[in-house]
Amino acid sequence: MRIGVFICHCGSNIAGTVDCAKVAHIARAYPDVVYATDPMYTCAEPGQAAIEAAIHEYKLDGVVVASCSPRMHEPTFRRTVERAGLNRYMFEMANIREHVSWIGKDMEANTNKAAELVRLAVEKLRNNVPLTAKQFDVNKRVLVIGGGVAGIQAALDCADGGVPVVLVEREATIGGKMAKLDKTFPTVDCSACILGPKMVDVAQHPNITLYACAEVEDVSGYVGNFTVKIRKRATYVDWSKCTGCGACTEKCPSKKSPDAFNEFTGTTTAISIAFPQAIPKKAVINPQHCRQLTKGKCGVCAKVCPTGAINYDMQDEIVTEEVGSIVAATGYDLMDWSVYGEYGGGNYPDVITALQYERLMSASGPTGGHIVRPSDGREPKNIVFVQCVGSRDKSVGRPYCSGFCCMYTAKQAILTKDHIPDSQSFVFYMDIRAPGKMYDEFTRRAIEEYGTEYIRGRVSQIYPNGNGRLTVMGVDTLLGRQVEIQADLVVLAVGIEASKGSPQLAEKLRISYDSYGFFMESHVKLKPVETNTAGVFLAGVCQGAKDIPASVAQGSAAAAKVLALFAKHKLESDPQIAQVDMRRCVACGKCIRCCPFGAIKETEFRGEAKAQVVETVCQGCGLCTSTCPQGAIQLSHATDNQILAEVNALCQC
Amino acid sequence: MSVLDGKELRIVGFLCNWCSYGGADTAGVARATQPTDLRIIRVPCSGRVDPLFIIKALFNGADGVLVSGCHPRDCHYSSGNFYARRRLEVLKQFLPVLGIDDRRFAYTWVSASEGQRWQHVVTQFTKQIHDLGPAPRLEDAEPLLKVADMALTALRPLGTGQHAALDALKAAIRAKLPELECIIGWQQGRDAAHTVPLFMRTPEDVDKLVWGPFNVCNPAVYLPSFKGKKVGVVVKGCDSRSVVELLQENLIAREDVTVFSLPCEGTLDMARVDQELGRYTTIDNVAYDAAHVIITADGVAHSFCMADCAQGKCYGCATPSAVLADERLGTPVEVTPSDVTPPELALLDAMTLKERLSFWHGQMQRCLRCYACRNACPMCVCRDYCISDSRDPHWMTQEASAKEKLFFQTIHALHLAGRCTGCGECQRACPVGIPILALRQQIARAVAQLFDGYKPGLHPEDVPPLLGYEVVEQNIHERDWK
Amino acid sequence: MSTIRFVTPDGLSAFLDFLAQNGRRVLVPVEKPAVKRSVVFEPWSAGRPFTLEKATVPAKAAVLPQCETLLSYKKTKNADDPAAVTLTLDDAPEAVPTVVFACRPCDARGYAVLDRPFLQGPYVDPYYRARRELLTVITLSCARGCDTCFCHWTGGGPSSPEGSDILMTEIDDGYVLQSITPKGEELLAAAGLADGTERFPAAENARKKAWASLAPAPNLKMAPASIAACFTDMDFWQHWTERCLSCGACTFFCPTCYCFTITDEGEGMSPSGGRRLRSWDTCMSPLFTREASGHNPRMVKAQRMRNRVSHKYATFPENWGAFSCSGCGRCIGNCPVGLDIREIVLAAVQRGAESMHEKQEQ
Repeated sequence: MRIGVFICHCGSNIAGTVDCAKVAHIARAYPDVVYATDPMYTCAEPGQAAIEAAIHEYKLDGVVVASCSPRMHEPTFRRTVERAGLNRYMFEMANIREHVSWIGKDMEANTNKAAELVRLAVEKLRNNVPLTAKQFDVNKRVLVIGGGVAGIQAALDCADGGVPVVLVEREATIGGKMAKLDKTFPTVDCSACILGPKMVDVAQHPNITLYACAEVEDVSGYVGNFTVKIRKRATYVDWSKCTGCGACTEKCPSKKSPDAFNEFTGTTTAISIAFPQAIPKKAVINPQHCRQLTKGKCGVCAKVCPTGAINYDMQDEIVTEEVGSIVAATGYDLMDWSVYGEYGGGNYPDVITALQYERLMSASGPTGGHIVRPSDGREPKNIVFVQCVGSRDKSVGRPYCSGFCCMYTAKQAILTKDHIPDSQSFVFYMDIRAPGKMYDEFTRRAIEEYGTEYIRGRVSQIYPNGNGRLTVMGVDTLLGRQVEIQADLVVLAVGIEASKGSPQLAEKLRISYDSYGFFMESHVKLKPVETNTAGVFLAGVCQGAKDIPASVAQGSAAAAKVLALFAKHKLESDPQIAQVDMRRCVACGKCIRCCPFGAIKETEFRGEAKAQVVETVCQGCGLCTSTCPQGAIQLSHATDNQILAEVNALCQC
Repeated sequence: MSVLDGKELRIVGFLCNWCSYGGADTAGVARATQPTDLRIIRVPCSGRVDPLFIIKALFNGADGVLVSGCHPRDCHYSSGNFYARRRLEVLKQFLPVLGIDDRRFAYTWVSASEGQRWQHVVTQFTKQIHDLGPAPRLEDAEPLLKVADMALTALRPLGTGQHAALDALKAAIRAKLPELECIIGWQQGRDAAHTVPLFMRTPEDVDKLVWGPFNVCNPAVYLPSFKGKKVGVVVKGCDSRSVVELLQENLIAREDVTVFSLPCEGTLDMARVDQELGRYTTIDNVAYDAAHVIITADGVAHSFCMADCAQGKCYGCATPSAVLADERLGTPVEVTPSDVTPPELALLDAMTLKERLSFWHGQMQRCLRCYACRNACPMCVCRDYCISDSRDPHWMTQEASAKEKLFFQTIHALHLAGRCTGCGECQRACPVGIPILALRQQIARAVAQLFDGYKPGLHPEDVPPLLGYEVVEQNIHERDWK
Repeated sequence: MSTIRFVTPDGLSAFLDFLAQNGRRVLVPVEKPAVKRSVVFEPWSAGRPFTLEKATVPAKAAVLPQCETLLSYKKTKNADDPAAVTLTLDDAPEAVPTVVFACRPCDARGYAVLDRPFLQGPYVDPYYRARRELLTVITLSCARGCDTCFCHWTGGGPSSPEGSDILMTEIDDGYVLQSITPKGEELLAAAGLADGTERFPAAENARKKAWASLAPAPNLKMAPASIAACFTDMDFWQHWTERCLSCGACTFFCPTCYCFTITDEGEGMSPSGGRRLRSWDTCMSPLFTREASGHNPRMVKAQRMRNRVSHKYATFPENWGAFSCSGCGRCIGNCPVGLDIREIVLAAVQRGAESMHEKQEQ
């Protein structure tokens, strides 16, 4: 080989504590190194031009740059060497800035270490081989999982971009959490009024196929070519016939079904339509409460249905969809706040969650928009809002901030005053987090215009005081005194967690998730909607707490990623993937068992079973390589021999 | 080019690209001062770090090795670090048996944002290595030869197996003969005091089948070579565990293998028998009673009590009856398992780290690299492509140094982690009697301790511990870096 | 007439001291304690315990080490022109004057076998020659045969002098040493040992006794032709190889096997430099004949066993007029599955005789 080595000064960033000229001098003695120099700024335009020139002048077939972290400029220099005609993988980097010059001042030790890291890179490079990407077709359809506002936005943007969309929603209607809200901050406009039209667009869009009451059962394949199995749960109503007229819901004799849409603040019928604006507007039977299905006699809905849509024998159905990309937008659920025994643990009817309070305020809710106490139906006068119930609380294992509670609490305090002008709201808070556009102004209005009393401190206990009210004991940390409030109603801003089943879905999608079930983005700052599985994107709260504007923005961002992906006719696979040496493979299947991506399958080769890597699914982790005792499966660009060359460069006594 | 003499020690780091390498970058950006000893090798994932890289480094001059990956659950590849955690922990528990201080190897988790934590980890680890000083080298250790104490008590009475239902077994084999390519068992070898494997294809072959304390070979070793054919195998309890393990690894198919078994009463340690017999020209007679084998050679009678002369593995054996069999003859014997430290491992347990290094230096010197150990191992399935001779990957040289020879034994042991059933064929096959089984035993002990007493070769449907993981490991605890 | 000397058991240490003079390396059988004891040859130093037992590992390494460096080289770069390198190369054989002490006649005959291809053919191996020329072999004749020994089948015997420089025979009160070659005579004459002429008859007696302890040897005259006749009968070879594990215990412990492989390790600019190594290889391994393409002419173990047996009993005799087997029996005793080359050879002889008989009848 003919290797060129470039020891970057990075101004004084490296040269300040590393003798770059000396490192270049030492590097000249390394095997296959025919050229070594120490430019001032290698990544700058002249620096890159110098590399290109050296490749031509010295007929280099490999380049080592010793400078900053490869996480910073490896792509840059790969392009540089590619411009000069080399394969991009005939390049290695030594990190002598973050790992050397910036972490110590001992010039001698740093210079020695830098030279050794260059040696490491040279030895690795000497074992490199050119790699080329392979191309494959893309199925330009997208699956959106979750029909909340983020999923709706992603679906609509993709559909508008001409991409057929499959939208899967677990509940009977799309709309998600936003559909349950009465008003939204900071404009206090009606949630249904702004979300409703988007929901209708979904229903009417020719490019969108909607599966409600459905869940993703299985995902296989890879970017551009996923196969998704979707389980359509039995609704016992043939939706192709149901017109959503509601006749069945009026006549249903089983009226004590829990009403999930209303956050269990009221009851509904066993056959029901979630709410008037539901999309799809179709009836669904709750099999646990339907008399026909539980006791075998009733059949009222079947009798009254004008289209004969009721089918008590309906079974779950699995449909298979082929898509090229997937957007996960599965949103959130509230954490189980009953762990707070000091707040009654869920046993006091007048201690409710903020989401329940939304339903009480909503004109489409169980009370028709009248705020009343669940216990006795009276109008509350003193209302206490408690923030951070299950957020920023390590004692219950919830160290993170749920993000939007400060804002909706302010909104709810304002709306409370609108609904009940003679009421008084109290808010116990830790910090007011109002960083969005018009947000801080909004909370100021709650305090200044609406007279909401904000008390900085936590509530230590809530207990019934014996005459129908609740005593709220707290502390005002600003004044340093105990606070005791007699409340008619206590509203808890319960913290959020990833929606139920998120880890299971993540495993089907082969994406990472954190200990709270939130899906992991590829890079927290720079790749917030990508995942580490190519072709799978994230939108909304499933990735982490965010409010409606951010969820919508992320929905659009995910759609943009999908559209960008589909803008290419062919996709290129990363060549840094595992490869099987058919001669060595004994088909023991250890790699297949371990692969986190299901990227290895058994195949037949000349009559013998062998492992085969699905090139487009492999993500290049190399777990298989360290699992295979035969050395039969090698991760390109990090083969055993390549890493051994580095180990040997360091350890050869 | 090397470490700065007197100032630095050789410390090698393997960092995953996504978290820990980024964490080290973050530390750099924050100008977090660190010792200069560490040299970082960037790998895609901690799961890519084959424990052999660490052994390779430690055998060849590294004074310390540090592996760092993403925190559990944060793996860029979702589960690479979960696998790494198991494998690296097994390695850490394995190192001391080689005479390597396990403090010379650490693994941890550092995220891309944890620059401070990285600084702390590097500083602490470097200090720890400096406190330990330069690592002693195998080749510098004064060779030491010690012999395992074979005065052992068995979990069950050992016997000569002369009342076993051999005739019923032969009848069962004859009945199956037409359906099977062949049935593997034992026959008399060069004299009545030795047996060799028997491949039965005709009723006359079945007549040659013998059962008793000389049946030392593990016939399961031949099964993978019959893959795809219908084959039978006669097993002792220990052999049956190899069959189970081969099934578990898909190296043979259940429907292809018919297992015949008799309860085993123990087999002789032929090394000690041969030594007692010395040089002889003829075996005149072999006689048995319930507890003894009496071999008359050149007119001299030698009595071997089964309780004293059995193979080391027989004393701790809890599976004298096959764990899996299609044709089970005789009455199965139940033995309550007990954690008995095998004699070879007990020998090493009693040594200091320094003595162990000396021990392996002394033992491996006489290894000829004939690889009888490897080829006798039923779980060694690479065969034609063993990495002992491979150039790609090029793990080993052909040099005749104790270090290279021990490296091979270490590779073998690590590749057997969670797979070795302790049949002991490797050690039995060694012509120069190197107690290499101890390395496998230490791995097996570590695996059992870490993974709820897991013992390989008991259930074909088990997921081998190193091919699986738990998100929260019950017995692997992150070591603190305070 | 050869030089005859006598040494008492107590005098052996002093004799070894003498042998070790002038920088000579004396390889003596040393016991390695283990549950499975073994005896190997190691350099002697004053006071070191040794044994006179037959060694587990023959002293073949004295002339053909398990691994030797054929050449080592270093490359250094020119500071002004990094593309230019200076190469320094050392290909001198690693050879020191060596005495092998108390090997057995079968081991000594091993040297005679090795000498043929390495020294007597068209290509002389300079590495082997360097060591062989500096080697003196002092052989202890065997007092009796044993169950695995069959030296007398192959043209040797318990006191065969072939390959030895000095033959040592145990008698009641010590050892009689008889020079076989001028090299042995010179060494023995300088050793300062007592004259042993009058004890020589006792030694001859002991040798006869040893011969008498051996079972009659079969006639292997027809072995080369018989084995050649069996060559294409794969069923025969498959039958006899079925239990073979394809390890190298038979060949690596054989005093006459000389197959090797050559590998390059390191490189000119690595700290330890580049080395070209020659190390033992075994024809029983499938790797031995695997070609770069992946094709393997000896894919199955039956083919490999056929090669080993034919080489020792057919092709080597054809080329060199002698078996390349000294009948030491180590391959039998060390085989993990008790494969016995004697059985195979006898079966082949019988099979060959039968088939030749058939041919004649036709």
